[in-house]
Amino acid sequence: MSDKSDDAISEKILNAAKNNPKGISAKDVAAAVPELSSAELVAAINKLLQQGLFDLYNQGGSLLYKLKNQNTKTAIKGADNEEKVVFNLIEEAGNKGIWIRDIRHRSNLANTQLTKVLKSLEGKKVIKAVKCVNASKKKVYMLYNLEPDRSISGGAWYQDQDFESEFVDILNRQCLRFLQQRADKIKNNPRGPIVGRTQSFATAAEVQKYITDLGISKVKLEVEDVITILNTLVYDGKAESNVYPDGSKVYRAIESLIPPPGLVQVPCGVCPLVYKCCSTGLITPQDCKYMSAWLDQ
Amino acid sequence: MTHQLGRVVSQILGRHFGEIVQQVGNDLFMYGSKTIGMIVKTTGLPRTQVIESLRTLLKFDLATFEADATVEYKLNSENILLLIRYPRYLLQMKSKYGSEAEMIVEELLQQASCTATVLLVTVMNKYKDDKEKNLNIVNLKDTFISLATAGYIQQAPVAELKDGSEIPILVPVATIVPDLDVRDLMQAMTSNLADCKDNTYWKVNYDRFHLDFRDDMMIKAITRRIDENAGELMRLMLEQMYLSSSAWAVESSPAAACDLRDLALRVHDRPLLHAHVDHYLKVLEENGASFIRRAGDAGGGQYVVRTKRAAEQLLEALLDHTVTERLGSKAARIFRLIRSKKYIEEEDIQKNAMLPNKECKELTYKLLEEHLISVQPMRKAASAGGSAKAIYLYHVKLYDAAHAARELCLRAAHNVSRVSSATRAAHARLLDKQRRVRSIVHGMRVRGEPQQNIDDVLETLTPPELSAVSGAERRLRALSAAELELDRALFLISCYFAFPR
Repeated sequence: MSDKSDDAISEKILNAAKNNPKGISAKDVAAAVPELSSAELVAAINKLLQQGLFDLYNQGGSLLYKLKNQNTKTAIKGADNEEKVVFNLIEEAGNKGIWIRDIRHRSNLANTQLTKVLKSLEGKKVIKAVKCVNASKKKVYMLYNLEPDRSISGGAWYQDQDFESEFVDILNRQCLRFLQQRADKIKNNPRGPIVGRTQSFATAAEVQKYITDLGISKVKLEVEDVITILNTLVYDGKAESNVYPDGSKVYRAIESLIPPPGLVQVPCGVCPLVYKCCSTGLITPQDCKYMSAWLDQ
Repeated sequence: MTHQLGRVVSQILGRHFGEIVQQVGNDLFMYGSKTIGMIVKTTGLPRTQVIESLRTLLKFDLATFEADATVEYKLNSENILLLIRYPRYLLQMKSKYGSEAEMIVEELLQQASCTATVLLVTVMNKYKDDKEKNLNIVNLKDTFISLATAGYIQQAPVAELKDGSEIPILVPVATIVPDLDVRDLMQAMTSNLADCKDNTYWKVNYDRFHLDFRDDMMIKAITRRIDENAGELMRLMLEQMYLSSSAWAVESSPAAACDLRDLALRVHDRPLLHAHVDHYLKVLEENGASFIRRAGDAGGGQYVVRTKRAAEQLLEALLDHTVTERLGSKAARIFRLIRSKKYIEEEDIQKNAMLPNKECKELTYKLLEEHLISVQPMRKAASAGGSAKAIYLYHVKLYDAAHAARELCLRAAHNVSRVSSATRAAHARLLDKQRRVRSIVHGMRVRGEPQQNIDDVLETLTPPELSAVSGAERRLRALSAAELELDRALFLISCYFAFPR
């Protein structure tokens, strides 16, 4: 068999595989190149497997050939077998990453060898280590060009594993301002309260657009992110949420049902020492400094 | 019946009735119920004074007695708390029925219970010389009758003697709106009051006032949440509710939308409400803090007022404010988050409240410390090894939180009243002097003495004294205003407790 016909056969098989990204069975391969005998077919497939163009899967007892991603193939050029195994594991984990202990379990490599392999891969800038947000000591590995998943990086609210509470506060305030601009529409609306209510509602997408237009955020905020912020407003009691018939969430700024009650207007309501305040002793109402300061103001 | 309640009650009794009644009140509060002999023994007061105090307490409905083999007295602490609400009752009367009603209720509150003739004649005589008020016995009588009809005043219970017993029992009677004869009243004004034949006694019906306050709270809340038109609609629904169900029912019986529509159309100056009644009903149902609920479709829709739910919502608003002011808005966020999720783990609190780990934990524990939230540990069944981690679920027990808030209110009320009595005691001499100077000056003015002499008397109060007195008066005013506000908060909480759990 000449090299040229060999290449042509490989081409045919690859084309068949490209058309079926989910993988092709041995029968499909045979159908793609009917002129080959089964022995020649096996030789051709083995060659392609050796070149690392195909992944082999076992599905329901039959073998399945799947075309490998071309660029990943190039990434591990000049790597030895261990590196390949480790790389494949990391690649499989996707943007969720994989913990070093899981790599060790699944690759059956010794600890020292594994660290060496990981180091060399990291040196080649093929993979990277990312610190996990909810477990600060846990490191996970993923491909170098991948963006870490939200559950790992914590999403827009984390900068180097630190929660950015100020950023959240600012966004919280801005969202509230946006909602408050429309909140009054429900009051005495000449077109009736239902129209007024609809006008006072804002969808999360609208708020997201407003926030993006403000340009206060360096990171791009998704609608999901804005919904988390809007939910904090709901928990603050400053907004209420509702769902439109099309399933999109809408928000509306509201006021508390009652004005600040008498309890918080007197110093005792906010006094940190109120539970230690007695009729006699060191802390008494008649000698209370807070009380006299409040009365003298 | 908590320690804090006892402190407030004692303060209030001391202020309104003096030290002796305060002592007797304290003793009764501490021991629950007691006989006269026992009170004499523990307080060390003379028997006549104890009897006198008990008589006062019984007269104002601040104590009750139970007749068995012996007569035991019991303090009615809830009614004592109402003493600080009197100004609010008067204000309500004035704004709803005018100053004549205010005078009648004021007199009745002071007398505790009184016959209609005596009451009206006393009010008449008191303000006879006051030209501004321009009282008229016929108007006064009409006001009295309309108050009785509206249920703000009711007939006092009648004492009845059981066979073979010397101790009377008070039997409540149904109020019959009286038919007072103006001629009899005129006659009573000129003759001696003691020999008047009227023997139906009247007293103030606090509960009727409380209904007004509650309705007012609900209407105001809806007005804040939606607008005045919705508030007006809420008022109509409450009116409708009183026609068909008991006032403190958990939910009213359903009212048909068409009836409400008719009622709304009869309200003046509300063009928007006229045009969009159905829309307002819908918005009230969906966005009105679940004060009302659609109960059915008969007759164009049936609506139910959820009074208990409303009381809960208002209480929650009060708690939110309290948490915000005591622990900050972040804590309020956590508090509300826990409430809306029912049961939640600590980790989920952090995730949803968007707060840094440490701060979130600290605030959660502080809330726990103040008894505003509770924690429920869920231990897994004994598994191998000690590694079984318990799950801690945080949740809000509204009833317990309400109790915590009530305690706080009572503490604050006690402190305010304590400070005001301390201020009064500290400036007693000056305040007394000022009062004397004022009365002397008033007398001189009436006699028409020259301005020179009046100024001389006025100057007996030196400038430093004057400034001290005015400072003290300002403080006392602020304190009594604070007390009224605290009473409002207490009222809101007691509204919640008025419903079955």
